[in-house]
Amino acid sequence: MTLTATTFLPLAGAVLILVVGREQLARWIALATTVATLAVSAPLYVNFDKASSALQFVETRDWIPSWNITYGMGVDGISLPFIFLSSLLSVLCIGASWSAVQTRVREFYAALLIAETAMIGLFAASNLFLFYIFWELMIVPLFLLIGGWGGPGRVYAAVKFLLFTLAGSVLMLVGMVALYHTFGTLDFRALAAAEPSLEPRQQAWLFAAFLAAFAVKVPMFPVHTWLPDAHTEAPTAGSVILAGILLKMGAYGFLRVSLPILPAAVQIFVWPMLVVSAVAIVWGAYVTLVQTDVKRLIAFSSVSHMGFVTLGIFTLNQSAVEGAVLQMINHGIISAALFLSVGMIYERTHTREIKDYGGLAKSAPVYCTLLALFCLAAAGFPGLNSFVGEFLIVSGAFKTHVWLGIMAVWGVALGTTYVVWLFYRMVMGELNPGLEGLKLELNAREVATLAPLALLALCLGLYPELILSYLHAPVAQLLAGVTP
Amino acid sequence: MNGATLSDLLLLIPELILVGMALALILVARRIRKTSVAVVGTVLAALAAALASVWALPDGATTGFGGMITLDGYSQFFKVLIAATLAMAALLSVKTIDGETVPRGEYHALLLLAATGMMLAASALDLLMLYLALELMTLCSYTLVGATVKSPLANEGAIKYFLLASFASALFLYGISLTYGVTGSTDFVAIASALSEQGFGANPLLLVGVGLVTAGIAFKIAAVPFHVWAPDAYQGASAPVAAFLAAGSKAAGLAALGRVTLVAFGSQAEVLAVFLAGLAALSLIVGSLVLLAQTDMKRLLAYSSISHAGYALLGLIGGTAEGTSATMTYAFFYVFMTLGTFGVVIALGERGEKLEGYQGLASQRPAIAALMLLFLLSLTGIPPTAGFAAKFVVILSAVRAGYTGLAVLAVACSVVSAFIYMRVVVLMYMREPQEPAPSRFPVAISAALALAALVTLIGGISPGTVVVWAISP
Repeated sequence: MTLTATTFLPLAGAVLILVVGREQLARWIALATTVATLAVSAPLYVNFDKASSALQFVETRDWIPSWNITYGMGVDGISLPFIFLSSLLSVLCIGASWSAVQTRVREFYAALLIAETAMIGLFAASNLFLFYIFWELMIVPLFLLIGGWGGPGRVYAAVKFLLFTLAGSVLMLVGMVALYHTFGTLDFRALAAAEPSLEPRQQAWLFAAFLAAFAVKVPMFPVHTWLPDAHTEAPTAGSVILAGILLKMGAYGFLRVSLPILPAAVQIFVWPMLVVSAVAIVWGAYVTLVQTDVKRLIAFSSVSHMGFVTLGIFTLNQSAVEGAVLQMINHGIISAALFLSVGMIYERTHTREIKDYGGLAKSAPVYCTLLALFCLAAAGFPGLNSFVGEFLIVSGAFKTHVWLGIMAVWGVALGTTYVVWLFYRMVMGELNPGLEGLKLELNAREVATLAPLALLALCLGLYPELILSYLHAPVAQLLAGVTP
Repeated sequence: MNGATLSDLLLLIPELILVGMALALILVARRIRKTSVAVVGTVLAALAAALASVWALPDGATTGFGGMITLDGYSQFFKVLIAATLAMAALLSVKTIDGETVPRGEYHALLLLAATGMMLAASALDLLMLYLALELMTLCSYTLVGATVKSPLANEGAIKYFLLASFASALFLYGISLTYGVTGSTDFVAIASALSEQGFGANPLLLVGVGLVTAGIAFKIAAVPFHVWAPDAYQGASAPVAAFLAAGSKAAGLAALGRVTLVAFGSQAEVLAVFLAGLAALSLIVGSLVLLAQTDMKRLLAYSSISHAGYALLGLIGGTAEGTSATMTYAFFYVFMTLGTFGVVIALGERGEKLEGYQGLASQRPAIAALMLLFLLSLTGIPPTAGFAAKFVVILSAVRAGYTGLAVLAVACSVVSAFIYMRVVVLMYMREPQEPAPSRFPVAISAALALAALVTLIGGISPGTVVVWAISP
């Protein structure tokens, strides 16, 4: 019941917000709901058996008997960290929106909470039907968040986001229907067990159908073009959920669907996927370098960072896949932190142009310290969280092919450049005259919003086993099925 | 053929209730001073008919009137659905049919009679019976479209509808005569046995006959290329009539088509599949592409209903019992989401009939905007709404029938149509209001909206509750 409770508690909160008509109350209900969700999910982490690769906390109930579809929930070591990340980021999103969102407050928080249900449910689902429902459910609140509370280009960004993701996911629907037609079940484990009866050619088609959905979400080159618009125009909370969780849903899809259920197709597609990932890393990094808008810069950096993740996954090598999952968590933490930081300063300055900043160090020392930490983490600085993940992926890439390794290292170098340069332009030097007279330092609420992420970045950097220990068993089992 | 006995009438209790109420309304039409009286009468009759069709079913299927009429799970399912359509259409009419321009009694009597035709179409086991049933429905529909006498658009719509429908009826009749000429019968069962013996190869005329019959019914569900009437008729008609047509005519047409393709022409499913797949593909493409250009809500929903006819047809392609139940499920959910969308259009009055009217609705009337969002998501087929469950089953049937390419086309079209549905959402949620907030609407409309929303939600969360009732003939 823990998983169901964790998943649907936010939805209950959303309904409560809509029923209770008071705007001021909406914030508090949302905060209470997200904190309660985090608390309710605590037994999951405490009672989880890390040594096992089996699904845990399994719940199965009849749902649509005439279609032989059950309501199934369960987590393994790969999905559990994402449930934590989703519920944590949701709390922080409420904190970040507290003063930033002043219009139609109730709808805003209701949409945020519905998105939380979709995120947690997606990672907790143990069958493809439920997975798909949460996958699609995620689109609607984010579409409304981007389009309703975003920046000047919000409508264009929201519609583009919607059409891209919808176009991908409807092909997944056909893939899902085809799997159901063939096997009569949509349970992940049952599908993985029945998979050998599918011919490689059929698997390849199915892989392509699922790829359409996953690639758009990751997003992989060249279907990433919705990302910079959506991330840039979204309100801070929307950007945090997009970068922190939504992008991970695509990569998680590869791990949950493509690799276990379509291993023969993975063997066919592995090289194209590796090459596309490497291109995304380097090309994404170059495009990031030339951005002049802070949010857009962070958004584009995600293309490069998610390239590392898909690269790691498709090396099909134990440590690199573990590194990829770790890096998904790391990117979730860092990009969320960066978007939160940018959102907080934007609330004061109302500009996203890098040239309008400069010299923040003197007037906002606490802010700049935290920003420095996050920028260093994004750059893969040793002792901070990204370092381990990138290291594992890069070494895996070298094992697969030397050129992949070189591209990845190149990407790391460029990554350090753009993020340090960004920090330099925003924080160092003399205070930009346009910023004089503004109260730039963070208040207590904002520090409290950023602190958990800073703490996580440090802890995971010093002790990555915190996440990796969850991954050893399920990743080993996953790869045992893929490698012939 | 045996003569009809009194016990045969028991099969027709739901229809008799509707006809009875229609006659009563016509008789006392001049004395009805309040619209609500006629509405309450119609809703009560619909309720009684629905209950009667649920309770009247004996064990298994029974036939009567010399095998022309049957009462089985299939007709029961559609009768309940049609009764719901009738009740909701009557409720949605309270604001528009004020009794000054459109006479109340006659309007509701026509609704009742049209619904009677729809119910008979679901029960018919004979081509001639089916023809009469569909004609009863269509004849009342022309009149309903033209009921707002002073509106030129309504007159134009009604005349176009009349001319095209007469043409389609002629095709249908010609198809019946050819089929009769070859098989020697208009009875579904007799046609089925003759078809499985002869096949199309022996007599090409039979192929023409079957094709024409299918085309005649395809007209009722507004499948392309037999869809031309729908946009004009919907736009010209008052919104409640358009809603009634979009939901009821589609449900009755699908009921007829489902039984004809499965029971009468079932042995030739493979040949028929090509024809049905063509209709489905054209409806999907034309419906979703032309949808993009619409700015009038009723016209927009007409093209939406055309594209949904395409989806519903996907279930019938396989010629299997499973596929037919998929189409039944689709028809059921489609009726409620369509009536819901029309309900919002009606609730907003004149403002609801233009696309721009939706600007900023979410900040003025959050509840009704949320309902519209729900119905539009369902029309797009996004979970957790009934539209998704419906889309899932019909796409599954297309894949089962081996038409995977058509399934891909269908989902691609759903993305295209998502663009226009979401444009309404954009207007509601992402723009500032340009017009004063719409005035309050009668409680009857709220009741219809609540029912539609309830089914749309339950159908998404627990589609099994409807799926178990969708038993093919």
